[in-house]
Amino acid sequence: MSRLSRWVVRLVPDGRRDWAEALWAEADQLPPGLARLAWRASGVRFIVREARVLRLAAQALVFAVAAAWIVHVAWPGPAGNPATAVNQLNVVTLLPVLAVLPLLARWLAGPAAPGWPGRVLRYGAYAAVLALTLAKASVEPVADNPAATPLLNSDASSPVKDGMIFTWLTQSLFLLIVAVYVAAILALTARRLRVAPATLVVGAGAGLVLGVVLYAVFPLGFTNNSTNPRLPGYAIALLITLAWMLLFGGPALASSIAARRYRGQDSPERISRLRIRQAAAAGFLATAVGALMVAALGTATVALLPRSAWLLHQLYPGEHLSAAAAYYRELTASVRIGHYGLILLFFPVIGLLMGSWAGAATNHGLTPGNGRPQLPPGRTPFPGPPADVQSPDL
Amino acid sequence: MRSSSDFSAQTLAVLAALHNEPSQWRHGYALARQTGLKSGTLYPILIRLADRGLVEACWQDEPVPGRPRRHLYRLTAGGAAAATEALAAAERPVAAASPARQSGLRAQGARGVAAPGAS
Repeated sequence: MSRLSRWVVRLVPDGRRDWAEALWAEADQLPPGLARLAWRASGVRFIVREARVLRLAAQALVFAVAAAWIVHVAWPGPAGNPATAVNQLNVVTLLPVLAVLPLLARWLAGPAAPGWPGRVLRYGAYAAVLALTLAKASVEPVADNPAATPLLNSDASSPVKDGMIFTWLTQSLFLLIVAVYVAAILALTARRLRVAPATLVVGAGAGLVLGVVLYAVFPLGFTNNSTNPRLPGYAIALLITLAWMLLFGGPALASSIAARRYRGQDSPERISRLRIRQAAAAGFLATAVGALMVAALGTATVALLPRSAWLLHQLYPGEHLSAAAAYYRELTASVRIGHYGLILLFFPVIGLLMGSWAGAATNHGLTPGNGRPQLPPGRTPFPGPPADVQSPDL
Repeated sequence: MRSSSDFSAQTLAVLAALHNEPSQWRHGYALARQTGLKSGTLYPILIRLADRGLVEACWQDEPVPGRPRRHLYRLTAGGAAAATEALAAAERPVAAASPARQSGLRAQGARGVAAPGAS
């Protein structure tokens, strides 16, 4: 088998690779000439389909286009603005990391698990991170513009005022957080960790609800108070209460559901461990997805603010903002988006802790093997129908 | 177990080819010649049949020197039973079959697939 064909066959997933090798090896049994060529040509069609080569190529193309767009937005900039160097750092570090992480995850955690939940989660994470990077590259020059620093009030501190060391530290932390998010989601959706598709759906679903609520409260950066100028006070209070409940209750509930739903064919001890793993994964996703969503959507909103009169009108309905007032609000929001980093940093930790705790508690109440609740001492299970009575067909 | 109407005409052709000598291991090229299927069609069918436990596959123990090992295929016991049933159903009068089956049978007939035991 030629080196090229061996390489192509290697693209085929494990369970199908034998078949691709068999097809290719069989070609050597055919008489040389057109028959062998036709066999291989038809075989290439099979291998391309099995190796999902077209999907891989489409993914690589979409990533390349997004990366090129980010470079186009992030790379140019005035030399006096620290944001130029920050954006260039993002480009030269984050984009290669995002390109390499799937390969690293495949090596360490195995190939992607089958099923749509994992695929949607991976695509969603990459879309959110690329959108966040693009929007951040667009917002940074506004937030870090030295000429704008005197305009900012004291509670919207600018990284420029705090010095370049602070800027580089926060940027390095941002890059690290984003890389950890992507790596965690790639690992959770890989085969080796055996996170069930239902766990991904439950965890990510809770995270989406949290993300929507957080975005409703903090669409223009994160502060102690809501940054949504449209909401009346009572709605803000309600949403903030709901956000707190979702932050702590969401991971606990999602983890409990994920642990209860898990079914396996392993030993009872292994099933217990896997249940707690499902719970921790659901807890992490219930907060990480929300945090990533609000950071990406909020940063994109702030990035669009100076470019879209429609958006400005939607956020400040009925107000006739002067150019100076609009610029001041854009500038303040641009500085506040850095505070989304706090959400990105702490929320998944809360989700992981709540998920592990809820998972351990749920697992404690389940029998080791079948996943049904343990009855209190002294109670007997409800008797089933006698053996000779057939249940009606439903 | 799947009914014969669930098998496409091409799958029935592969089942018929394997069913001619159920105990014999067959290789892909022989099956392709017998059924007239291209490799890119034959192998996905073999994979689906193997996934359903109807076909078993193994690598040749003693390859011909200078040539790569070959993959061999034959029906399992369940596969032989399913093939018998499916091919018998395909032999029944076309009027009794569903429209989908009729088109499948016409395609099979056009390919000249031998019924089990016909050879």
